[in-house]
Amino acid sequence: MKDPVSSRAGSILDADERRAAHRRTSIIARVIRRFAVLLAILLLSFACGRDERRAEKPTSPQAVVDDGRPQDGGTLIRRLESDIVTLNAVSMVSIYDRHLATLLYTPLVYLDQDLQTIPGLAKSWNVSEGGKLFRFELNEKATFSDGSPVRASDVLFTLRKIIDPAAEAVQIVGAFEHLDMARTRVLDEHTIEIAFREPRATQLMRFNDVLVLPEHVYSKGNFRADYNHTAVGSGPYRLVKHDPGKEIILERREDYWAAKPPIQKVILKIIVDHGTAWNALKRGDIDESRIASDVWMRERSNATLAKTIDFRRFYTFSFNFISWNTQNEHLNDARVRRALAMCIPIEAVIQDLFHGTARAMSGPFTPDDYAYNPNVPPVRYDPEGAKALLASAGWRDSNGDGSLDRNGRPFKVDLLIMSGSASTAQFAQMVQAELKKIGVEIELTTLDPSVALQRIMSGNYESAYLAFELDADPDPFSILHSSQVPPRGQNFSFYRNPEVDRLIDAARTELDRSKRKELYWKIHEIVAADQPYTFTVQVSSKWALNRRVRGVEVSRGYGLFRWLPGELGWWLPSSQRTHDRPAK
Amino acid sequence: MTTYIVRRLLYAVLTFFGITVATFVLIHSVPGDPITFFMGRAGLNTLTPATVDALRKEFHLDEPLPVQYLHWLRGAVTFDFGHSVIDRRPVRAVIFEKIAATFQLNFVAFLVAAGLGVPIGLWSAARSGRRAERASALGFFLLYSLPSFWVALLLIRFFSVRFDLLPLFGMVSDYHSQLSGWDRFADRIEHLILPVITLSYAQLAIFARFSKSAVTEVIRQDFIVAARAKGAGPVAVIWHHAFRNALIPMITLFGLTIPYLMSGSVIVEQIFQWDGVGLLYYNAILARDYPIVMALTVVTAVVTLLASVLADILYGFADPRVRVGEGNE
Repeated sequence: MKDPVSSRAGSILDADERRAAHRRTSIIARVIRRFAVLLAILLLSFACGRDERRAEKPTSPQAVVDDGRPQDGGTLIRRLESDIVTLNAVSMVSIYDRHLATLLYTPLVYLDQDLQTIPGLAKSWNVSEGGKLFRFELNEKATFSDGSPVRASDVLFTLRKIIDPAAEAVQIVGAFEHLDMARTRVLDEHTIEIAFREPRATQLMRFNDVLVLPEHVYSKGNFRADYNHTAVGSGPYRLVKHDPGKEIILERREDYWAAKPPIQKVILKIIVDHGTAWNALKRGDIDESRIASDVWMRERSNATLAKTIDFRRFYTFSFNFISWNTQNEHLNDARVRRALAMCIPIEAVIQDLFHGTARAMSGPFTPDDYAYNPNVPPVRYDPEGAKALLASAGWRDSNGDGSLDRNGRPFKVDLLIMSGSASTAQFAQMVQAELKKIGVEIELTTLDPSVALQRIMSGNYESAYLAFELDADPDPFSILHSSQVPPRGQNFSFYRNPEVDRLIDAARTELDRSKRKELYWKIHEIVAADQPYTFTVQVSSKWALNRRVRGVEVSRGYGLFRWLPGELGWWLPSSQRTHDRPAK
Repeated sequence: MTTYIVRRLLYAVLTFFGITVATFVLIHSVPGDPITFFMGRAGLNTLTPATVDALRKEFHLDEPLPVQYLHWLRGAVTFDFGHSVIDRRPVRAVIFEKIAATFQLNFVAFLVAAGLGVPIGLWSAARSGRRAERASALGFFLLYSLPSFWVALLLIRFFSVRFDLLPLFGMVSDYHSQLSGWDRFADRIEHLILPVITLSYAQLAIFARFSKSAVTEVIRQDFIVAARAKGAGPVAVIWHHAFRNALIPMITLFGLTIPYLMSGSVIVEQIFQWDGVGLLYYNAILARDYPIVMALTVVTAVVTLLASVLADILYGFADPRVRVGEGNE
C-alpha cells in the first residue's frame, strides 16, 4: 500500500525531476541490461567451449569389426546409489561395499550364474567330518595387487578378523559363528584346513564372502579405521582413486593371475538421485543404473530410447511380507492371521501398484528357488472367507456398528510401515481399505526405518510391513527358528513352532541338497498354514544399461553383480568407447 | 566499544553451550541409534551380541547421557570431533571436505544473488510504483515461490537433456584433470551454472525486494529532499545518501545469510550430486551418526553466532547510537 503523503509528493514532482528520475533509473537499468548480456555471452561461450572440448572425444582410432566376440579394453562408467562405507572386505556394510569388494578382492569360492560354487582363490576343496571340516587348496598363481603371493596364512588372518568383534564384520560374521579356530590351521603355503564346531549345509557357499586380505598389509594399524579408503586385494582390478561422494576409479591389474576381464577401466560414479541417474544414462554419461519402477514402465516402450538403452528386469532374493506379532492377543491365532492375509488384494497389488512387474509369494522361499514348494498356493483374495474364518475365531459384529468385536472390544490392528517408499504406503492403504470392508480397523504408523526396526526388535508392535532378503541357498533359521526371536535374531513375529524348529535344525545340517529340499518344502507348507508372516510379493528389480555394454547376463537371484562372470564378463565394442580420451 | 564486543562474545559462548547441549539431548532422544542403523544396512543380517557390544563400547553408547556429553565436549574443545560412525573417517576431515564444496557453490550463488539483487533493488526503489517496477515485484514474488526441485528439473531438462549445453551433475567433468588452464576453469564454471541458478533465484528475489524496501524507506526522509535540493545528481542521491543509510537493515540480512553459505541444500545437492554439507547432515541424522551431527551443529552454530556478533559490531560502526546506548547501561 502506498502512503498518501508520498503519492501526493510524487504528483507534484515537476517535469525536470521526472526526467531526472528516469535518467537515474535508466543508468541502473542499463547496467543491469549489460549484466544480462554479459551473462548470456558468458553462458554461450562456455557452452561453445564445452562443445569444442567434447569434440575432442575420440571415436575409436582403430575400428575393429564387431563380430560379437568380447573385445579387450575400454572404460565403463557405473552408477553407485550411495557412497561406499568401506573398502575393507571384512568390515563391509552396504551392498555397494560388496560390489566394490567383488572387483578388488577374490573370494575363496565364486558363485556361477546358477549360484553354484566354483573355484575362486581356492582351486579345489574337500569337505569332511559331515560338513565340519573344509580343506582348501589355493591357486599358487594368485597374487595381491602389491605383487605378493596369496598364502594360506592370509586366509587364516582374514578368518580371524571376521570373528573379531572389533572388526565389525556385520555382513559375514553370522555365517562364521561356529568357526573353530583351535582346529583351523595352515597346512602348507597354499593349503588351509578350516574347522567348525557345528556343520552347516550352506557353509561352502558362505565362503563366497571370505574375500581374502593380505596379512602383511592389514595387520598394521587400526583394522577398522585405517583401511576404509584403501584396498590391497587379489581381485582383477586395483583401486586408483576414491573421491568421497563423487567417484571411485578402478583399473584392471595387468598382472592379474586369472582370466582378465575385458574392460580396462571402471569408474563408479556416485549419483544419489534416481532422476539424475536416469538422465545421465540417457545422455550416455553413465552405462548402467537401477531405475525407478515408474520410469522403467514409462520409458521402456520409447522406440528412440530403445536404440541406445537396454531395459532389464529380473527377480532377486528380496521379497516383501507382513510380520504379525504372534505375542499379540489378537494375532496369536493362525486363523485370524490367515483371515487378514485373505483380505490382501494380491492381484490388484501386482497389477495396479507394480504394473505386473511383481509376483505373488506363498511362503518364505522365492519362486525360483529349489526350496520353493510349488504345491503351496499363495493365499487367495477372499474377503467373505476371511469373515467366516474370523467368526470362527470369535470375531463378529455383535453390536451392528459395522466393525468386528469380541468380548465387547473392537478389532483394531496397528500396521507399522517404513517411511521413504511410495509403494509401501500405497500397499498399506490398499490393505487398510480392504480390511475396513470386513470390519477390521488398521491403523497405519509410518516410521523412519531405523526407528521402526528398533520397535520391532523390542517386540513393541502389532504388525509391520517389511522387506527381507535370504541368501543364495536360503536358510530361514534367523526369521523362523524359535531361538531367533529378537533381540537374538530376526524372528520378528516371535513365531514358535517346535516342528518348524526341528525341520530347520535338520535342514541346516543336511548336506544332501535333495533331502534338504524335502525339509524346506515341509517348512514352506507349515509356515504358509501358520502365517506368522504373510509373504506378499516379490517385486522385480529394474535396470537400464547402455547398449554399448555387451555380454550382460543375469544370474538367478543375484541379478547383474556378485557372481562369476557377472560384470567381469562385460565388454565394450572398440567402436563405441565414448568415455575414453586419448592420452595427451 | 571493547566492553560492547566482549559482552557480545560472552553471550555468544553461553548460547553456544546451550545449542550443543540441546542438540545432544535431541539427537540422542530420537529413537534408534547407530546400531539399529547397522542392522538396517546389514540387510537385517545377524549381528552377533559381541559385535553389538563392541559397537556400543566404541561410541560410549553404554554410558549415561551426561557422561557421553562430557566425552564429546572433551574432544570438541580440542577440535577433535571423533570419528564418523558410518565410515570411521575423522569427522573433521569429512566436514572440511564437504564444507569446501558447499561453500564454493553457495558463495557463488550468494554473489550472483546479491550482485544482481541489490542493483535491481535500487532500480526498483528509484522507479517505485511505476508499472515496470510493479511487474517486476510480481515477478519476484512468483520467482520466490517456485519450488527449487521443480526449477532444477526444468533446468536439467532443457539445458542438459534437450539441448545438451551444460553438464547434468557433479562438480567437474571426468576429463577435468586432462584439461589445462582456462578450460579447467570453464569446466568448473559450467558445472556451477545450473546449481547456482537453482540456489540463487529465490535469494535474488529476497535481496531485490529487501534492498528496495530499505532504500525506499530512506528516500522518503527529509535529508534526501535536502540532498536533491542542494543539487546532488540522481546517482549521487541514491548511492551516496540513500543506499548508505539503508545499510543497517542490509547488514542484518547479510549477517543472516552468512550461515547459509556453510549449510547446504539437500535438494540441490542430491539432484546435482554436489556432495556437500546438506546431504551429509541429512544422511548423518538418518544414520544417527552422532559425531557428524554434533560437529555440523557446532560449525553452523559457531558461524551463525560469529555472523551475528559481526553484524552487531558492524552496526556499532555504521551507527554510533548503537554502541553509545550499550555503553551507558
